[in-house]
Amino acid sequence: MRLFSSHARATLVLIAAVGIAGACREQSAVPPASTDTKASENALVISRHDDRVFAGGLMPPAERVVNTEAHNPKAAEEGAALFTSMNCDGCHGGGAVGAVGPNLTDGRWRYGGADADIFRSIAEGRPKGMPSFGGALQPAMIWRLVAYIKSLPPPKDAPTEAW
Amino acid sequence: MSLHCSSAVLALSLALLAAPPPALAQRASDGDWTMPSKDYSASRFSGLAQITPATVKSLHPVWTFSTGTLGGHEGQPLVVNNTMYVVTPYPNVLYAFDLAKDGYPLKWKYRPPVDPNSLGIACCDAVNRGAVYADGKIVYNLLDGHTVAIDAATGKELWKTKIADLAQGETTPMAPFIVKNRVLVGASGGEFGILGWVKGLDLATGKIAWTATNIGPDSLVLAKAGTFKTFYDKGAQLGQTTWPADTWKHGGAPVWGWMSYDPELDLVYYGVGNPGPYNADQRMGDNKWTASVLARHPEDGSLVWAYQFTPHDSWDFDAAAEMVLVDLTVKGKQRKALVHFDKNGFAYTMDRATGEVLLAEPYVHVNWASKIDLATGRPVLNDAKATGASKGNVKDICPTLEGGKSPASPVAYSPVTKLFYASTNSMCMDYAAVQTAHLAGTPFMGINSPYHASDPNMGAFIAWDASTGKRAWEIKEKFPVWSGSLATRGNVVFYGTLDGWFKAANATTGAVLWRFKVGSGVVGDPITFTGADGKQYVAIYAGIGGDWLLLSGDYKSDDPADVRDPADFARDLARHTSQGGIVWIFAL
Ligand code: HEC
Repeated sequence: MRLFSSHARATLVLIAAVGIAGACREQSAVPPASTDTKASENALVISRHDDRVFAGGLMPPAERVVNTEAHNPKAAEEGAALFTSMNCDGCHGGGAVGAVGPNLTDGRWRYGGADADIFRSIAEGRPKGMPSFGGALQPAMIWRLVAYIKSLPPPKDAPTEAW
Repeated sequence: MSLHCSSAVLALSLALLAAPPPALAQRASDGDWTMPSKDYSASRFSGLAQITPATVKSLHPVWTFSTGTLGGHEGQPLVVNNTMYVVTPYPNVLYAFDLAKDGYPLKWKYRPPVDPNSLGIACCDAVNRGAVYADGKIVYNLLDGHTVAIDAATGKELWKTKIADLAQGETTPMAPFIVKNRVLVGASGGEFGILGWVKGLDLATGKIAWTATNIGPDSLVLAKAGTFKTFYDKGAQLGQTTWPADTWKHGGAPVWGWMSYDPELDLVYYGVGNPGPYNADQRMGDNKWTASVLARHPEDGSLVWAYQFTPHDSWDFDAAAEMVLVDLTVKGKQRKALVHFDKNGFAYTMDRATGEVLLAEPYVHVNWASKIDLATGRPVLNDAKATGASKGNVKDICPTLEGGKSPASPVAYSPVTKLFYASTNSMCMDYAAVQTAHLAGTPFMGINSPYHASDPNMGAFIAWDASTGKRAWEIKEKFPVWSGSLATRGNVVFYGTLDGWFKAANATTGAVLWRFKVGSGVVGDPITFTGADGKQYVAIYAGIGGDWLLLSGDYKSDDPADVRDPADFARDLARHTSQGGIVWIFAL
């Protein structure tokens, strides 16, 4: 299986993944930004049409997918095993502290730190070298990876390093 | 290969003053620097002699340029016809500076499209090891698996060839090597389970003339009966039979270092990197020809001989480092030698016609093997240091997988002192291998390996006598030394440090004569050239990176969303450097 797919293919794969999680699919208004955790808790926005928002002043409807692993107490532990078996650690380092890919434990995010953002980073990939795993992993497995990443405590005083 | 030089008069007179040894004789001019390692023999030696132990004190910066990029600045500029060519790390911009004009303005720059996905596939930062000049063309590799040829005068793209496949984990930071009409290129991906190869392209058109893999059956490796002969190993299909089942198909064997060429033997030499995965239990056997030197005919790629430095490598001891071709007296006999400082901690002096090991001595502290048995060519192993998932966490292995010397830090050889100059690392590691699965485009490693210092000084710049396998002198450094070396007929040698010093030392005594703080750690390779005014100049890149991005990422400050901790073994490296991308030129 090739994990590198064009963006178009990645999106298709994701829609297929949403299909698998069909039981949790629902229609609703899109929250203003996916980083707004309160509004979009556990929701994955898979399509937005910002260019059309101004047409009637209303957001177009879009789809969300709910974190199916939110109530799995072992999700983080299982996600840790996946983080190694899917070779995430090869790029992000053991414990996700950063290697060729960025540190995922610093509490800071290029693409947003809401569960849905992290899901999307993993499922669709990101342009500067993050492969899309949506075709290789079931959504539930991706949610477990999200749970693992969210379980890693950010350091207390990351901004300052003194000698 | 045709070389041009407008300062030919000076270079010629220097050449007449002291005739270079035969292996260096094809060098057309010492005023220019036309290929990464300076000449076919990979000597990184220049005949220029204005800068001497007596004059070097007045060396000072005369020009700097920010490349606008912050990846590790490995490699070196080229100087051809009063033009300096600089390739940046990703996104691999090529700049051409006019050295004949005041302030060295740009003649042109070339900004190719480069796939940003390569940033995740390149194992160890977005580095580029430089370009090569031949026949009016500047040829170099883009990180995303393309080789390009650019008109040296106009900056126009002449051809662009896809050589590697990102989806398979291949990237191309290596500098191409040109012999006659062949452009030789290889790919990185020893951490991604690639099937490593070298390709020969046509210099005029960029068409791929041949592909030779480094592992696998003889038909792919281009080991033809009658042509291929090893000094130690018997039998055919060694690249296949030394692997379980078809594990060679994802066995790594990348090529990312520096090549050399002997015109008399018509052989190109290059080192092959590590086997994959790092968990050696998944690939029992020698795993030929990983961690090896291969000698091929450049025209058709056919393999003539091969030698494996580290059979069944279970420490990531790539042999990607340069093979320097010199004529030496070893044990009383004049030899056409090949000298190689392996990551595994041994410096090898070999016969470059046959692949016989004449001498192999540790140049740093080594404990995974007690010695190299010259009768068999094999290391005498310390079983306690063998690794694999079944062995758990194996502690205190020396040197580390960064190497006693990194292949990214090429040595220099001076025919004046008859010494090699090398940047070394004094570190040891723990190595915990685990079972891992191959998923194309993701790392195929299976390892966790923290480092620690084996000496309060984690690095040194050393002078080495390859005739005897002994150190002549060393300059101790606080941090591992990661720059290339430059030797000159003026008897001054140059290197840089991770904490950002560019230094000049007496080639005979090792006394540090001069230093300058260049703004970021040095992982590049110094060069020297003659300017339009007839003066000798020295150039170096400043810009820490490469493996250091992975090891001590707290020197990074370019990304507010990626903040890292210091490395335990080098907690205050970031106290002395942050990222950078600066080209420096110095003169007396
Ligand atoms: C081939 C190397 C590679 C692999 C394998 C890899 N990543 Fe990444 N990852 C990256 C890179 C590089 C980035 C940064 C991409 C960018 O900035 O566009 C990234 C970004 C991310 C992000 C977004 C971080 C942010 O700051 O927003 C997350 C989350 C992530 N990866 C998780 C994972 C997980 C989970 C896995 C395993 C399923 C994984 N990665 C496997 C290289 C990799």
